[in-house]
Amino acid sequence: MTVDRPPLRASLAALLLLGCRMAQAGEYAPADASPRWTFGGYGTLGVAHSNEDAADFTANVVNPGDAGHSRAWSPAVDSRIGMQLGVELDSAWSAVLQLVSERRLSGGYAPQVEWANIKYQVTPDLSVRVGRIALPVFIVGDYRKAGYALPWVRPPVELYGTIPISSSDGVDASYRWRAGDANNLTQVFFGRTDIAISPNDRAEARSLTGLSNTTTIGALTVRASFLTTELSVGLAHELFDGLRGFGQRGAALAERYEVNAKRADVATVGFNYDPGAWFVMGEIGRMNARSFLGDKTAAYLSAGYRVDDFTPYVGYAGARANTPTRIAGLDTAALPPQLAVPAARLNAGLNQLLSTVAQQRSFTAGVRWDLHPNYALKLQYDRITPRHGSSGTFINVQPEFRSGRPITVLSAALDFVF
Amino acid sequence: MRIFLINLLAGLLLCAGAANAAELVVIVSAKSPLAALRPDQVADIFLAQTGRFPDGEPAVALDLPLGSPLRDTFYSSMAGKSPAMMKAYWTKMVFTGRGQPPRELANSAAVRRMVADNPSMIGYIDRAALDPSVKAVAAAVQVAR
Repeated sequence: MTVDRPPLRASLAALLLLGCRMAQAGEYAPADASPRWTFGGYGTLGVAHSNEDAADFTANVVNPGDAGHSRAWSPAVDSRIGMQLGVELDSAWSAVLQLVSERRLSGGYAPQVEWANIKYQVTPDLSVRVGRIALPVFIVGDYRKAGYALPWVRPPVELYGTIPISSSDGVDASYRWRAGDANNLTQVFFGRTDIAISPNDRAEARSLTGLSNTTTIGALTVRASFLTTELSVGLAHELFDGLRGFGQRGAALAERYEVNAKRADVATVGFNYDPGAWFVMGEIGRMNARSFLGDKTAAYLSAGYRVDDFTPYVGYAGARANTPTRIAGLDTAALPPQLAVPAARLNAGLNQLLSTVAQQRSFTAGVRWDLHPNYALKLQYDRITPRHGSSGTFINVQPEFRSGRPITVLSAALDFVF
Repeated sequence: MRIFLINLLAGLLLCAGAANAAELVVIVSAKSPLAALRPDQVADIFLAQTGRFPDGEPAVALDLPLGSPLRDTFYSSMAGKSPAMMKAYWTKMVFTGRGQPPRELANSAAVRRMVADNPSMIGYIDRAALDPSVKAVAAAVQVAR
């Protein structure tokens, strides 16, 4: 079984274009504008433990961690390695290729193309990129996988789990502008992305359109983003086909909850204040997928204090659903017994899907130790409480899982850059 | 050893006097119309927050090699960032695709030569390497005690 990002049409086109540009650069570029190659990378060796053995703790759903039910200590939650090759052909043209190896839905670690894009610097303030590009959503969204650049072991799962993808294939434009003391970066983007979620099923985001603005005033950074997409997730076909067999009511339920070309919107705003000796950051976001993925709001607040090479930090995060996550479903009382039983089963299946809409609170405390240039060691404690019947951000949920019980997650991670 | 850093504008470059003073100056080409820059304006250019000088002309920063004392003094006085914080900063910028660190040249003389020829470039050098082909627009002094 292979689980791959789709054929890299845009990325390949970008690389071909790059080849043409390089040929041109060789022919016409003046001698002092020789291509400048850069190579670098980042990685995390991590291990996470969860005391909940009826579900697995994971950082997001597309890179499944397996701490808790599947194994007591999981290296899969946070471990990854990324490599980035870049080239600046001249002051206007550049290109970047980033490969990331991390646990995928297939269980393998084969490297994936995270980014492959060409950038054209139109003016010192305006640039345009084509190819596979990082999604500029969330404060640390563009570098969420580069653990070294994060204060924590991983971005807060309640908020960052709402958008498990981190790049899209398309175009974006970035414009830098200044207003008084404020440096601004405004980005608009348009693209698409899809991932295989099983051998036969894909999750696909089409016409992914967004706007993001980052304002920096001294030590304060504020970012606001909005994106909208047409989302399809090929999950639970049998459930929805079953519901459609139950007349108008069943068809209406399938229409309401199936993720089939549904409009999904995400709006987030966050800040980071980091004068050097300490930092505080917070973010809030709302994601409405108009389906069983729910309409949810998630937020966190976190702060840390730097003492020499040590940065202890704390955080509090929460996620809640804005629409009901337990519904009546089909009216089993009105059905003959031979239909009432399968109808009840469909209702249970639908409610089980809705219980995966994350509703939880978590408290986090940890310490980052910059033990060596380019290396940081982090130890983190999380106390996570899924609530209101939800399984929270946990996956591989077993029948004996009970919502409302606090779960302890312990993590250790060694982050490095090279 | 503690290191004290003092920011000075170019016009205020009076003798620091200390025996172990390593003085650095931020330079642009003598052909540039710029007179002086504030530390935060210098930092914005070197941290790729802006691609322009305050007068709107394009700006390209040049760096000295990683680990050179002049470089550490420069970033701590202009941007208030330690070498470790600079590493984390460029990790974010590079792995977000938002920018690459400035091009590095081997020493003060190499930076001066490149800046002299190009009014869009800005660098920093040991004050002892200053000559009329370039002009100082900001300065910092590192006094070792």
